[in-house]
Amino acid sequence: MTRTDVFDEHADIIGNSPSIRQDADETPFSERESAISVRNVCIDYRSLKAGSVKQNFFSLKKVQREVFRAVNNVSFEVPEGQILGITGKNGSGKSTMLRAIAGIFSADTGEIDLHGHSISLLSIGVGFDKELSGRENILLSGLLLGFDKAEIGEKMSEIIAFADIGNFIDMPVRTYSSGMYSKLAFSITAILETEIMLIDEVLSVGDQKFRKKSYNKMKELISKRDRTVVIVSHSMSTLEDLCDQIMWMHDGEIVMLDKPEVVLPVYMDFMK
Amino acid sequence: MKRFWRDLKSHYKYSIQSAKSSLKSEIANSYLNWIWWVLEPFCFMLIYAFIFGVVFDAKEPNFPLFIFVGLTLWDFFNRCIVQSVKIMRNNKAIVTKVYLPKFILLVTKMIFNGYKMLFSWVVILIMIVYFRVQLTWRVIYLIPEMALLFLFTFALMTHLLHYGVFLQDLENVTSIILRMAYFMTGIFFNIEKRLPPQYVPLLMKCNPMAIVITGVRKCLLYGESPNMTWIIIWMVISLIIAILGVRQIYRNENSYVKVI
Repeated sequence: MTRTDVFDEHADIIGNSPSIRQDADETPFSERESAISVRNVCIDYRSLKAGSVKQNFFSLKKVQREVFRAVNNVSFEVPEGQILGITGKNGSGKSTMLRAIAGIFSADTGEIDLHGHSISLLSIGVGFDKELSGRENILLSGLLLGFDKAEIGEKMSEIIAFADIGNFIDMPVRTYSSGMYSKLAFSITAILETEIMLIDEVLSVGDQKFRKKSYNKMKELISKRDRTVVIVSHSMSTLEDLCDQIMWMHDGEIVMLDKPEVVLPVYMDFMK
Repeated sequence: MKRFWRDLKSHYKYSIQSAKSSLKSEIANSYLNWIWWVLEPFCFMLIYAFIFGVVFDAKEPNFPLFIFVGLTLWDFFNRCIVQSVKIMRNNKAIVTKVYLPKFILLVTKMIFNGYKMLFSWVVILIMIVYFRVQLTWRVIYLIPEMALLFLFTFALMTHLLHYGVFLQDLENVTSIILRMAYFMTGIFFNIEKRLPPQYVPLLMKCNPMAIVITGVRKCLLYGESPNMTWIIIWMVISLIIAILGVRQIYRNENSYVKVI
């Protein structure tokens, strides 16, 4: 029996069980290969304000642009199979970091190496075309994540069943409530499995029932030994329960990077 | 350039699927669905045919067909150009969540509008039969002409995508320029006959849309050869503009997501 099976059997009582992975990892993380390497990464937001034609014509002299450094010289490694939690106050560069890892924009300096792993980013309001039906959006998202049509076709019914939004699956996404939207988004990323999953504050979507279901699904997914997960969250219980390592970011820099039991008490103290 | 082909290869399926879905949703949302794609240019053709054929007494042979060919090609070009200005903003939900080579969005739009244009071509074929136009071997000139249309449109779109991100009022500027180009392309009149002769060579050399549309009419309706020299010259120019545009998009794609 695999670990996943064991987990499935107890799926309904999960939530009060501590980290399910504790006994499973024979090799310590330090000896495993890296899945994500982040080296000396800085990410700037130049205040490249979208201007008008007029402004561009008349401001011939170079305007000094303000630079806001969202991520400042950050380096860390995530070994294969690790679950890294990132926390920190709002605006500390967590989501920016996640987006850079996902490749949506690249780092201004330094480098991010995924060692050839496939990756998906799950965040509130995943990219849907609002005019299209849920079903079509599943197909398109799948193609964008690098799956081919046949694979998506196989998983389609599973995704639809998991999302559990009834007949809305064939309605345009613009008619969805925000809960349905997030449920569908979560289902796509959860069922179409990539090697690295980046999760941005979505474990609290949907109603009570879906929240529990998605939380359990998360646990099931990350219980697979070769899956690497990065979670951004403010929820102490999520971080404590799911993560092997916690990275605390503040103003674009890493304050601490260590085991949850080490970081979380200090962080809680700081936030008071 | 290698990267361009690699990205195109890995994403063309997405492009096609995305264009298909958009077409489907457009159909689903209207009562007469795909008939609109034919009906719209057809009605405009009737209006122009009346105004210019009856009121202003135009003397082109097969005048309705003459207009309809012009409208079909122009509509494709016009739609692509207008839509590319806001393309990053309109696809914000997608580009901020997953990496996508940005020019793929342009390819998607071209497939979308190209498919609509196909419907107009069906009408053109029907009209050719109806007006008993004699087709000649010169119809093969359609191939380089259409190639130029696609290449030139794509070339302009790459630059509009880039500047459209940073300049919010670019849309107003393009609509003025497009309107001007519309009248200088000769959709409902023959520029070679109607304009003062001193302007004709200039327009027929500097306006690729006029070259394409006049060329298509010549080889399709009147069995004449188009001016291949300028078609080839503009293909080369378009290719260069497109390469510069794609490179510019690659260089700047980092900042797009941060600005929108």
